[in-house]
Amino acid sequence: MDLTKRLFINIIPGTTFLDKLTGKTKIRLFFLLVLILIATWDMRILAPVCLIGIIGLISIRPNPKTVMGLTVFIVLVNLFNLFLIWVVTPDYGASIVGGSTLLLRLTDRYIITAETLWYFLTRFTKFMATFFVSLTFIQCITPSEMAAGLYANGISYKISTIVSIAFRYIPEIARDFSDIKISMQARGMELDSRKTSLWTRLKQNVMILAPLIIVSFDRVGNIADAMDLRGFGRGKKRTYYAEHEDTKGDKIVAVINVLLILAFVAILIGRIFFPGTYQVWAPWINA
Amino acid sequence: MREPLVEFTDFSFQYKSQTQETLHHINLTIYKGEKVLILGPSGCGKSTLANCVNGLIPFSYPGKITGSLKVAGVETKEASILEISKHVGTVQQDTDAQFVGLSVGEDIAYALENAAVPRSEMLPKVEKAATIVGMEDFLIQPPFELSGGQKQKVALGGILHDEEELLLFDEPLAALDPAMGMTAVDLIDRIHREQNKTVMIIEHRLEDVLYRHVDRIILMNEGTILMDATPDELLSTGLLKENGIREPLYISALRNAGIRFKPGEHLENIEELDIGSYRAPILNEMEVSKPYDAPEGGEVLIEAEHVDFSYGNGKVLDDVSFTIRRGEKIAIVGKNGAGKSTMARMLCGIIRPQAGEIRIKGDNYLKFSIREIGRMIGYVMQNPNQMLVKDMIADEIRLALNLNGVEKDVADQRVEATLRMTGLYSMRNWPVSVLSYGQRKRVTIASILALQPDVIILDEPTAGQDYSHYTEIMSFLEMLNREYDITILFITHDMHLAIEYTDRAIVFADGKCIADNYVSTVLSDKQVIEQANLKETSLVLLARQVGADPDLFIRHFIEREREERKNGLN
Repeated sequence: MDLTKRLFINIIPGTTFLDKLTGKTKIRLFFLLVLILIATWDMRILAPVCLIGIIGLISIRPNPKTVMGLTVFIVLVNLFNLFLIWVVTPDYGASIVGGSTLLLRLTDRYIITAETLWYFLTRFTKFMATFFVSLTFIQCITPSEMAAGLYANGISYKISTIVSIAFRYIPEIARDFSDIKISMQARGMELDSRKTSLWTRLKQNVMILAPLIIVSFDRVGNIADAMDLRGFGRGKKRTYYAEHEDTKGDKIVAVINVLLILAFVAILIGRIFFPGTYQVWAPWINA
Repeated sequence: MREPLVEFTDFSFQYKSQTQETLHHINLTIYKGEKVLILGPSGCGKSTLANCVNGLIPFSYPGKITGSLKVAGVETKEASILEISKHVGTVQQDTDAQFVGLSVGEDIAYALENAAVPRSEMLPKVEKAATIVGMEDFLIQPPFELSGGQKQKVALGGILHDEEELLLFDEPLAALDPAMGMTAVDLIDRIHREQNKTVMIIEHRLEDVLYRHVDRIILMNEGTILMDATPDELLSTGLLKENGIREPLYISALRNAGIRFKPGEHLENIEELDIGSYRAPILNEMEVSKPYDAPEGGEVLIEAEHVDFSYGNGKVLDDVSFTIRRGEKIAIVGKNGAGKSTMARMLCGIIRPQAGEIRIKGDNYLKFSIREIGRMIGYVMQNPNQMLVKDMIADEIRLALNLNGVEKDVADQRVEATLRMTGLYSMRNWPVSVLSYGQRKRVTIASILALQPDVIILDEPTAGQDYSHYTEIMSFLEMLNREYDITILFITHDMHLAIEYTDRAIVFADGKCIADNYVSTVLSDKQVIEQANLKETSLVLLARQVGADPDLFIRHFIEREREERKNGLN
C-alpha cells in the first residue's frame, strides 16, 4: 500500500465530480487536454488550461501534503531548467518571440529581455498546465478504470489489462524485495550508505535481484493460471465491473470533449495555414 | 441413479518435460453432488489430477494423455479450457496470486467480465456471491489489506456464479492459520450443501479437512489411486502413515493406547467415537507410560522486557516480555498479524523497540548493528527461493561469511563444517537450481548456520509441505538442537509442529504476549486458544471425553511420539 501512495495512485474510487466520471470519459478528457497543450504556445490557451488543471486538482481533494511536495519539486525543476536555458542563450526570446526589448543588462553577454521573460513564462505555464492536468488525471482514475477506459476507447483488452495487472502486483514485488533485503541484511549485508561504497551497494542490489526474479516468475505462472481458469481471453469482447454506466457528469464532459476537439482542430488549422513568423504568441507583437 | 460429473477411464498423463508418467491408469468417477477429498503426499500426482479436471492440463501444461477424462460429459483433451472453466471453478493454493482484481468486487466479477456479462447483470451476481462467502461489506477493499482467509473467500466467491457445477480446491488450507482453516472448511461444507455444488478438495492435511464430513477420500501415491473409500474405512487402516500422510492426532492417540479398529467403526468425527470402549485402554496407557518433561534451558540468551512497537497508526507489539535460554525449542504462535513476524524482525534488529529493551547475553542490543546481531541470531525465511542468491551450494553457504568479512582460512573450515553438519557435503558443488524445495530449505538453514549463531528463527519452516518432507526438515532441526545445542524459535501456526517439536509456546494476540508456557499447557487453555485463533487439538477433546487431564494427556502423547521418532531414527 505504501508504494501505491508513493506512486500517487488511488485504488479505491473517490466521490467527487471528476472521480465519478467513467474511465472512458476521464481518458478522453485527459488525452484532449494534453493534445492541446502540446499543440500550442499561446498563452491565451495555456493559462486557462492551467487554471482548469489547478481547479480540477483542488476539486478532487487530494492529500495536500503529497501534492504540495510534488508541486514544489516540479516548480523548482522547471525554474532550474529555464535558468539553464538563459545561461546558454540569454537572448532566447529574440528568435522565438521576436524582438529584443532590453530590461536589464548584467554583463555584455547576460541580458534580460521582455521577450525572453515572456517565453519563459509561457513555457513555465505550459509545463505546469501539463503537470496539473496529468496529476489530476492520475489522482482521479483507478487502475481498473484506466483499463476499462482504454478498452472503451478502442484498445484491445489484452493490452489494457496490463495496466491493472501491473498495479495489482507491483506492490507485491516491492514487498518481496524488502523481504529479501531483510534476509540479506540479517546475513551480514551492509546496506548503510555511510558504511559501504556506492559500487558495493550496487553489486549487492544486483544480488538481491536474482531471488526476486525467481520469486516473481513463480508468481507470474500462478497469475497466468488464475486468469486462464476464469476464462480470460474467452471472447473478443469484455465488460468491466469498474466501468459504470454514463452519468449526467459524463454527458456534460462529453459536450466539453467535443468542444475541445473543435479547439484542437482550430489550433491545428491556425498553425498550418497561418504559421506566423514566430512560434510563441506575445500580446505586444501582432503576428 | 447418480449422474457422473467427472469420469477418468484408464487415464494416464505425462508432462512434456518429463520422462515418466505422472498419472498412471486412473479410474475414478465423481458424481454430481458429492464431496470428495483427494489425499496424498507431495508429488503423488494429486495436483496434476486437479489440473486435468480444470483444464490447465493440457491447455497450459502440455503433455501426453492416454485414456479418457470427461468433465460434464465433455472429453477434456478435445475441449478448450474456456469450455471446461464454465463447469469447473478452481480455488488455487496461492491466495495472493489468484487475486487478479484490484478490489474484492472486481475479483469476484472477473469470470463474468471475461464472459462479457453486461454490468447491470454483473452487479447483482457479485453481490449475491459476496454475500454467500460473507464478503459483502468489503466490495471496494483492495487486496493489499485482506488476510489470507479473506482472499480465499473472495476466490471462492468468484466461482459461485451459477454456471460452475464443480468446485475444485487446491490445498485450501496451506496459507491459513488454524482458526481460519476451520472457517474455510466450514464454508466449503456450507456451500456444498446449500448451493448444490460438487466439491473436490486436494489436501494432505487430513485432520483439518475432516472437521466437516466428506463423502469419499481418494488416497493417491506415486501417480496411482491406492484407496477409494469412506473416511471411516480409510482411518481404520494403516495406509495413511505408510503413505506419508499425518493421521488425525486422536487416531494416533487411540492406536498408541493399543486399540485395534474394527470395520464399520465410526472414526471420522471425534464427537461420534465409541468412547466407552476406549476409556479403559487410554487411562491404562497413561498409567504405564511416562509423561514428557520439557528440559530446562541453559544460560539466558535473549531477554525482551516491556517491548513496544507501532507502525504509524496501531501498536503491533504491546508490552512484550519473555526470556529465551540456550537449547530451547520454542514455538511463537498466534494469528496472522498478531505481531509474530514483527517480533522476529525485531529480534534480528531490522526494527528496534520504541519502548522497552532487548538484551542479548545481558547486553542491550541497541549497541549491535544488524550484522553483529546476525552472528548471534539467524533468520530463515519461509520461502527458500527468497533467500538463495548463489548458483552453487557451497557458495551460498560461504556468502554470509564473506559478507561478514571472515578470513578465508576460517571461512573454508566453517563452510566444510556446516556442509557436514547439514548433510550437504556430498552435494556441495551442485547447482542450487536442481534441488527440491526441501533441499533448498536445508541449504538456506545451512547458509545461516555458517555464521554459528546461538539462535535461529525459522518462519513457517513447514508451510506447504507434506508430512514426510515436514518430518525430514523437523527431524533435521531437532538434530541440530540436540547435537549442537542450537536454540530454535519457530514462527508457526502449525499446531502439530508445536506439539511434536517444541517445548514451549509463546502466544501472541493483537500485539500482546498472552501466554508463555509449556505447549501442552497452552494448548489445553481454551481462552488462549480462542484469543490467538488457534485450534483446539483433538487430543484435548479426546482427553476430556475419557476424563483425563488434557495437559497430562498431551505430555504422554508427546513422550510416546518422541520415543517413536528416536527409535525410528536409530
